[in-house]
Parts: sequence; structure tokens; C-alpha cells
Amino acid sequence: MDGRDLFDLRATLQRQGIIFAFSGYMTETVLSGVGEAIKQKLTIDDADTKTLRSVFAVFVEQMQNIIRYSAELAAQSSAADSPLLEIRYGIVTIGQEGNEYVVQAGNLVAHKDVERLRGRLIKIRDMNKEELRALRKEQLRAAPEEGSKGAGLGIMEIARRASKPIEFDFTDVDDCYAFFTLKASV
Amino acid sequence: MMWKFEIPATARTPAVTFDFAENHLKLTGESYPEDVTEFYKPVFEALDTYLAKLGKGSCRFDIELIYLNSSSAKAIMMLMDKLDAAAANGASVEVFWYYDREDDTMQELGEEFGEDLANAKFHLEKMAE
Repeated sequence: MDGRDLFDLRATLQRQGIIFAFSGYMTETVLSGVGEAIKQKLTIDDADTKTLRSVFAVFVEQMQNIIRYSAELAAQSSAADSPLLEIRYGIVTIGQEGNEYVVQAGNLVAHKDVERLRGRLIKIRDMNKEELRALRKEQLRAAPEEGSKGAGLGIMEIARRASKPIEFDFTDVDDCYAFFTLKASV
Repeated sequence: MMWKFEIPATARTPAVTFDFAENHLKLTGESYPEDVTEFYKPVFEALDTYLAKLGKGSCRFDIELIYLNSSSAKAIMMLMDKLDAAAANGASVEVFWYYDREDDTMQELGEEFGEDLANAKFHLEKMAE
């Protein structure tokens, strides 16, 4: 075998300052395990408490967004009496850019959902802390949105924990899907 | 009625310590359960049963969380609503929100929850070091 492909992948990640990367089917167990490793690495880095909690908080929301909403999934059609087994695919990286930690997440979304998601992201990105606080309180009271399993609060939590405006992008993949990326710096 | 309702803490769920005999209820630790609804359902049931019988009595609820995720925030809001409703019905309810002095995000979150309490008394306190 030739180890160069894997080494090149590692080199690409390191060049971008990435200290953790996970690409694959996401589960809550992956969240627990990688989350624990992030806490340990930031403790070793001597990051302050608020930075550590904020990086962790952004990571949790990014992971749960993929676990709940990624349009790329593997599912087993279940018998009537057993729950549907379903796991969703995405990629999450945690890296350093200068003095900041950067958490990026990517997953497929259906084209039909892009405009609604983009609209929500623009709205949240452009809000100041006070506006974000007001919207958050309003959303916490509101019933969960259609097609949403988490009251749509995850992106607001990411924006609130980030030290500068969130960044995002949608890249066309094919007729059905776009690749959605969300980046937050702490 | 039971006198205590307790769930030990895990890495992702808080310790629940409801001492009904002492009218002292507590949530301590971190809250980002795999399934928020499943975790909080029995907690709410125990709280509902207790509050229904509290009448004009008094109770203290301590929330000492170092981290909660966005779906847990919804559960905490529901919990606050229950406490406020009991206070509206004549109970004397005091809510203490303890935050880590090194994480002002949790202080702000406490302020936001406190603003919504119309009848229960709210206290914002730093955690002991």
C-alpha cells in the first residue's frame, strides 16, 4: 500500500491549522467522545474557561445540526415494532486561526431548503447582541418550526458564542443537493 | 407522596436533587442530553406533582449549570414557567441561578430567564469558587 494519500489529507488539514477533523456518519456518541477530546486539548492549551466553554458549545450545536438535519443519511427501513435506525453524514473541523479557535461544519442540504436556511442565517449573522437576545427569547417561546427538531435555536446559540459574525456558504453539488458550510470563530 | 426525587449526574445530564421534605430543589452540572424530552419528562412529572400540592407553601429552586445546549434551554424555560405559575397561584417561590464568574454567557442566560418571572423571586449569584 501507499500511505501518501492519507498523509496528504493529514498535511492539508494541518496546513489549515485544523487540530480535529471528523468526516462521516455522526452520532451522539461521536459528539460525546470528540467533545471530551476537545476539552482536554483546550485545557492543555491553557485556554480560558469562557473560550473552552464557547468552543465546546459551538461544537455541540454544529454536531447536533448535522445529526438532526443533514440531507445525506443512511437508514434502515424498520420492522413495525422497532425504531427506525437512521444516521446522518457530515464533516466537522476545529482549528486555530491566529488567536482564535474556528469550528466549521458541513453537510448536504436539499436545494428546496437552501433559501429558507440562507434567509435565517443572514438574519442572525447581521443582528447585534441585543437583537439576537430578543429573537432568542421569542424563539424559545415559539413552537418548533416546521421541519425543525430543535426549535431553530442552534444557529442563534452559535452566533451568540462566536466572537465575530458567523460565516456560511452553499456550494452546488448536483440537481438535488448543495453543500452547506457554517463557520464560527471563538 | 415521595419525599425525594433524585437523578445522579452524568457527563451530559445534570444531577437532579429534589428534596420535597425540605422544599429545596436543585439542578447541578451540565445539560446537553442526547434526548432532551426523554431526560426532562420524569423531572417535570415529579415537579408538577410537587407544585400541585405546594399551595401557599414556599420552595427554593437552585439552578447551578455550567453549560446547557440550546434544546436544554427550552426545557429550562418550561421549568421556570411551572415555578412562576405556582407562584402566581400563591406559593412563595425563590429561584437562584448560579453562574460561573468566568463565563458571562451563562450570566446573561440567567438574566434572560429571570426577566420572564413575573411572580417567583429571582436571584442571580456567582458560583462559589
